[in-house]
Amino acid sequence: MSQDSPDKIIDKSARLVFSFFISSAGLWLLAAALLAYTAAAKLTDPFFLANFELLTYGKVKVAQANAFVYGWGGNAIFAVTLWILARLSQAEVRGSVFLILAGVIWNLAITFGLLGILDGHMSGHEMLEMPTEVWPAMLISYLIITFLALVIHRSRQVRETIAPQWFLLAALLWFPALFLIAWNGLELNTARGTLQTVLSMWFGQSLIWLWLTPVALGAAYYLIPAILGRTIDKYYLAIFGFWCIAALAPWSVVHHLEGGPVPMWIPAIGTVMSIAMVFPIAVASTNFHATAFLDVGKVWNSLPLRFVIFGTLSYTISSYIGVVFSLPAVAKITQFTIINEFHFNQRVYGFFSMIVFGAVYFALPKITGREIPVAAKNFHFWTSTFGVLLLLLAYLIGGLTHGVLAGQPTLPWSSSVIASIQPYFMITKFAFVILGFSQLVFVINVWKVIFPNPFTCCANASKEVNA
Amino acid sequence: MNNLAKFTIGIFLTLGFAWLAFVVGARSQYGDLTPTAQVLNEDGSVPADAELFPLPMSGLAKQGAEEYAALGCVTCHTQQVRRVEAGFDVDRGWGKRPSVPRDYVHQEHVLLGNSRIGPDLANVGLRGYDESWFHQHLFEPQSLFPQSLCPPSHFLYTEVDEGNDVVIEINSTDESKSSRFVKPSVRATRLVAYMLSLKQDYELPEVAFVESAEEVDLEKTEIVATAAEPTGQLPEWLRDQMEAGKEVYMKAATGGGMCFTCHQVNGQGLAGQFPPLAGSDWVLGNKDRLIKISMYGLMGEIEVNGVKYNNVMAPPGIPPGSLTDEQIANVLTYIRNDWGNSASAISAEEVARVRASLDGRPAMQMFTAAELTPPVQ
Repeated sequence: MSQDSPDKIIDKSARLVFSFFISSAGLWLLAAALLAYTAAAKLTDPFFLANFELLTYGKVKVAQANAFVYGWGGNAIFAVTLWILARLSQAEVRGSVFLILAGVIWNLAITFGLLGILDGHMSGHEMLEMPTEVWPAMLISYLIITFLALVIHRSRQVRETIAPQWFLLAALLWFPALFLIAWNGLELNTARGTLQTVLSMWFGQSLIWLWLTPVALGAAYYLIPAILGRTIDKYYLAIFGFWCIAALAPWSVVHHLEGGPVPMWIPAIGTVMSIAMVFPIAVASTNFHATAFLDVGKVWNSLPLRFVIFGTLSYTISSYIGVVFSLPAVAKITQFTIINEFHFNQRVYGFFSMIVFGAVYFALPKITGREIPVAAKNFHFWTSTFGVLLLLLAYLIGGLTHGVLAGQPTLPWSSSVIASIQPYFMITKFAFVILGFSQLVFVINVWKVIFPNPFTCCANASKEVNA
Repeated sequence: MNNLAKFTIGIFLTLGFAWLAFVVGARSQYGDLTPTAQVLNEDGSVPADAELFPLPMSGLAKQGAEEYAALGCVTCHTQQVRRVEAGFDVDRGWGKRPSVPRDYVHQEHVLLGNSRIGPDLANVGLRGYDESWFHQHLFEPQSLFPQSLCPPSHFLYTEVDEGNDVVIEINSTDESKSSRFVKPSVRATRLVAYMLSLKQDYELPEVAFVESAEEVDLEKTEIVATAAEPTGQLPEWLRDQMEAGKEVYMKAATGGGMCFTCHQVNGQGLAGQFPPLAGSDWVLGNKDRLIKISMYGLMGEIEVNGVKYNNVMAPPGIPPGSLTDEQIANVLTYIRNDWGNSASAISAEEVARVRASLDGRPAMQMFTAAELTPPVQ
């Protein structure tokens, strides 16, 4: 690559912002890992750290989900989206100062939010548990970042847009819309009775489907062809897949309310739309895997791509599992069980995070000009793969056991139903330890290339930080 | 797709449709639900003198709900009884009927929850636990359920010496440790008030109790109709006898009756296998044959409320046939007066008289239905 190639210039313009967001994302990932371990340990031994009110199970569990989604997920989304949009628009990232300022506000808001949860100011709304005081800061900082991302997109060189741009832009724009709807319905014009639950459930699930999912899909649509040097196979389907997700996902998520004290049409629509979700799932799966399997050797040899394909495979398989679990006959067993944990971790870890890892390993060497040691990356990949699979299997099998035993009215609750799923909690605790180490390695990998050690490194790299 | 403005409108439209349905539509459908009477007038109006349900929550319970939310209890506990066809909740005894939207109109924070590592709490105030039981559970769930995963909340209590009148005694399951005495904080008191306030023990125009909903034929509706008065109005001696009987019914250890394993906690039995006790002509009818079955068991075909069953009921009790006269009297009185049943109580003397009349019958020789019909009066 010559010094003046346009990609190089764009990467240079994204350098400060990308480094900031991805290194703070890394810190959140570690915080979430620590909280995840604490929560898992408390399920295997309820007396673990039981004397600290700050760390009672309900709070830790909720703090972990929020740190994971907003801390790690949010920062990673900003980093990946800004860089991919800049690359696709062939436009430089502008307003780095404002982006970083907004990023600092976002991170401070989440920090105070999590402390608020631990200190007993939880709001009780799904995925909006952070105290309402931090919501304005989150929204404002998010809108600043979205605005600057749209500026990049508006200054694009080619007018025609492609799949990764649709998904990334849609995710950027959907989040504030969802957030405002939830804010209005839950706090400003508080809904009465179980309407609250309909709304907070709709928000919590849509957050996964309309924010994390499209970002990961968009990144996959960008990375797979970029690394393989091929076009997406059956690309003409992508637009159908995109609009299917846009039209169906916001309807399908409410199937989790099956049987509850809400009008029956709500979960019924959710179930029908969940079944219809097989179309977008099939489209994304075909696009990704038909392309990737044309060159399996290259997928295997490229570590970023291995992460991405793990993510897309996990998306396909578990989305189909999700469709099956939304059928009322199956939901009767699986509803309210730890299969919820399976869904959450599969989406946020097995799918979204794995693709983000791939994107970071692909982007970071280009942006900083420094390579990450192969052995360290491989260690991260294999521990993550093993940890995620172990975690998901434990939650899946444990969840089915949970559901089947709970359905036997004569079995006593704690001494029989819950005692039977205890071994699975032991496995998840072990899996969270493995994942914790894995994430630590990831963060070290990232931090080492972003902040090279001034004592071991010669003069050539250390002066470049200010782009 | 190339014009950002059009694209934005498109993706907001798709989101907007769902918003219209779930937020605007649902709000206009049931956003203004109000408390109502258990039974409405024929023209659909609320009777003038009727008590309106759900009852408002006490101030203390409302504060308890805030504590419940702040501690994240909703992470493991739901507060919703699902419809019968959607889950096992009613079978498990977690509620007399499915929850409906109207049950929640008084709650500022609706905490339905979506995970059940702990049991459902929608009706926890109906399970017969008293305040000190809740305090003991809150302080250290493991002192009541050794395998519970519920986090102990020692931080809501101060340990004190015995003697003070507001202290709660915590019995340890570990024999080697002596009991401890704790004083609940204000927050613990609020939480317990909240727990005790959680009950959906009233019928609404849109939902009836499940037991009576299932019984459609006339004969049984009559039985249920006579039993509508709540147990709270029973004379004290009868309540005591029923309580003792319920213990026998539910106890699955030596000295218990273990009746619930077949006839179920709700007395409904299992379709095709074990006959129901609720509304059963055998339970509410002749006393003597009921006492006989309780001593010696029953085998072979039996017709209950027009449905045939063919199974074996070993002589009740652990070990089999070990129930005392008093226990039999209590448990029979209990099954004749719960789940909507209402029939005369049975005394230990009556049981003793029947036992004497059967003198010489080999122990463990189960009765057959044929032997007991026509009714021996």
